[in-house]
Amino acid sequence: MSRGELPGPPPDDRLHPDGRRNGQGIRVDPAAEAEHPPERAVLSALVTHEPGVLAEISGLFSRRQFNIESLTVGPTVDDDLARMTIVVEEPRPGIDQTKKQLEKHIPVISVRELAGNAVQRELVILKIEGDRPAQVNAITDMYDGRTLDAGPETVTVELTGNRSRIDDAIDAYSQFGVRELVRTGHAALARGEAPTAQVSQPNQAPTEAQVATEAVSDD
Amino acid sequence: MSEPAPVQQTDEESSDRTEEDIHRDTPEGVSHGASPDPDVTTGAESVVAALRTAGVELLFGVTGGAILPVYDALYEHDQITHITMAHEQGAVHAADAYGIVTGEPGVCVATSGPGATNLVTGIADASMDSDPLVALTGQVPTGFVGNDAFQETDTVGITQPVTKHSSFADDESTVGAEVGTAWALADAGRQGPTLVDLPKDVTGASTDERPGEPETPDTYDPPTTAEPVMVEAAAETLATARRPLVLAGGGVIAGEATTELRRLAREYGLPVVTTMPGTGAFPQTDPLSQGIAGMHGTGYANMAVSNCDAMLAVGTRFDDRLTGDIETFAPDAEIVHVDIDPAEISKNVEADYPLVGDAGVVLDQLHRAIPGRPPAVEWRDRCRTWQDEYPLEYETPADEPLKPQHVVERFDTVTPADTIVTAGVGQHQMWAWQHWTFTEPRTWVTSHGLGTMGYAVPAAIGAKLAAPDREVVAFDGDGSFLMTAQELTVAVREELDLTVVVLNNEAVGMVRQWQDGFYDGRRTASEYPWVPQFDAVAEAFGAKGLRAETYEGLEECIQTARAYDGPAVIDAAIDPEENVYPMVPGGGDNARFALDSDQLEGLQ
Repeated sequence: MSRGELPGPPPDDRLHPDGRRNGQGIRVDPAAEAEHPPERAVLSALVTHEPGVLAEISGLFSRRQFNIESLTVGPTVDDDLARMTIVVEEPRPGIDQTKKQLEKHIPVISVRELAGNAVQRELVILKIEGDRPAQVNAITDMYDGRTLDAGPETVTVELTGNRSRIDDAIDAYSQFGVRELVRTGHAALARGEAPTAQVSQPNQAPTEAQVATEAVSDD
Repeated sequence: MSEPAPVQQTDEESSDRTEEDIHRDTPEGVSHGASPDPDVTTGAESVVAALRTAGVELLFGVTGGAILPVYDALYEHDQITHITMAHEQGAVHAADAYGIVTGEPGVCVATSGPGATNLVTGIADASMDSDPLVALTGQVPTGFVGNDAFQETDTVGITQPVTKHSSFADDESTVGAEVGTAWALADAGRQGPTLVDLPKDVTGASTDERPGEPETPDTYDPPTTAEPVMVEAAAETLATARRPLVLAGGGVIAGEATTELRRLAREYGLPVVTTMPGTGAFPQTDPLSQGIAGMHGTGYANMAVSNCDAMLAVGTRFDDRLTGDIETFAPDAEIVHVDIDPAEISKNVEADYPLVGDAGVVLDQLHRAIPGRPPAVEWRDRCRTWQDEYPLEYETPADEPLKPQHVVERFDTVTPADTIVTAGVGQHQMWAWQHWTFTEPRTWVTSHGLGTMGYAVPAAIGAKLAAPDREVVAFDGDGSFLMTAQELTVAVREELDLTVVVLNNEAVGMVRQWQDGFYDGRRTASEYPWVPQFDAVAEAFGAKGLRAETYEGLEECIQTARAYDGPAVIDAAIDPEENVYPMVPGGGDNARFALDSDQLEGLQ
């Protein structure tokens, strides 16, 4: 009884290409296979300021398994717009994909990846054991922080900075015992005159083509 | 057809309305916004006015509580016809198929809560396949939202991941414009589903706001033209390739670029394979047609895909059912990827030449830029050799049950070339895809990316209403048919002349095939110990019911079904042992497709 079998040369007798791609679909030279280690990128997105946008964007990140380190959102100079600052950690193709997927969403007006020299700040509030207030104060001063609340049991301090500075401060406080802490995630703007996200080119990502064109023109 | 059409009146009070009446168009050249439309006094009337302005003539829906104001606004509205479906899933699939066949968004309507959630499968289906679709859902009054009111669900929250855009209409003065925007967004750029959630107090509120022409938001600006420098570079690569291949995806059809594609391929002698959604973009009768690629694609298509050295991929998202193991996908090929969605570029397969833009425009650009025919005489010979080596053959021994491939081929032979084929999901779908000869776009209407069983019958209804003068054949499996068979009642009520062919092997055959191949034949839940008589089911619903068990009987059934003026169902008792080959196992190497079960075993 036939079970749908078909004629033709079996798998091992067929012409077969020699090449290979990697898991990201990139053709590889087995002798010099390029690795794409995860990088950290700061994305700034202008979005319409309306209910549901945060849920829409955070849903995108979870459903596409993009790794985010932090996501902050707040108003801008334009009341109708909000700015999201998203720190992602992905291999380069993943960062590009993240930007393009963000841009597809209707409430997203513009997406920019900020250069490494962008102005980046994060706020942390720590509640520290109050046994050694003088030493806690010394560290707070060292990191240009402020004491918000001090009592017999705990000292609460705030400080701002970039990620590594805050990591260092938390390390320094940990000798006293940190009861609780909260970090806001990064807020960032492009340095100097460069706009962080342009509204004049709505929803137009610098496409892969545009990026790659520069490389081609150089040849 | 030589046989006179036996006419069976199924409805005593059958109206004189014909399908042509349903489709009576507004005269060409007359603006849709012209004034025989009634005044707008409520949010719901503003919604209906927006649909009229967009040119919508048909709605597919199921009524309910929270959507009542919208249905009330349709009362006495003579320019929009509402097709009442049996289930919301039927409504959304019918609207989806209507969108595929016409190229413009199909519109479905449901109430809040279960009405909306029943749409979700079909919305996700449209999202995966980039089908133009608008869903309008009722919602509890805004004052109740968030309080777990009767039939309340967070419809926008539920549907956001599977739509191009979902919005909650909270203002009666803009609700019409919002519906217009949803329609325009579903239609523009890379098409897809949109949804507007309509709270009952908003649709019920007073407003005289008449929405203008549907417009996408200012910030929505899909690309059209690809970078000229990149086009030049891609053209050079294609012109010098020794083994060039075109991979035509669904975007060629959705982008109305089949003419440009055909011209380019023929002028430069490029063999063409299509993806499943791209089927019909290039005529399978053309000497350059290299067939259909993917898991159950033809051997000769998959050989060409694996061995090409330059691939012009147009409007495809490189789905895993197409590529198999990404590491072995066309590993020697430089890839020119044309797509309107920048996010598809290098998502799954790296594009060496990304051409972001409208398929037709970019193919035109390429056509102008390609300096000459590539040196591919040998390659075209090789492609033809593969066609000879890997034919889709089957036998039809008289002492064995009907072969499903034969059923498909017979229908293909007797029906006109512009016949629309719909299919559910499973083995029957693969047989229909493999054994029908597709020559025109928008004739292959099925569920591709989501793999939604039950798609065929409601899709046939949507397709027939979209193209009343064309023949529609739905191939379905017994498992798929049982999921949406109730929609036959709609086909009967609307007097739709279509044929459903149930390729009945009394099993969820594709699952069984996988269990046999990959789970040691442990057929859990895939075989039905009993199935109903589908011909009798059809008759009870008011359709013509037929049963084919022999090759002779099949011919008679085909004749009777086609001659019958109304929906007919052929229950075709096919060989339950028959399986679908070729087969590339999930995550396998396309060039190592299995031609039988032994080879499949050897590939694991």
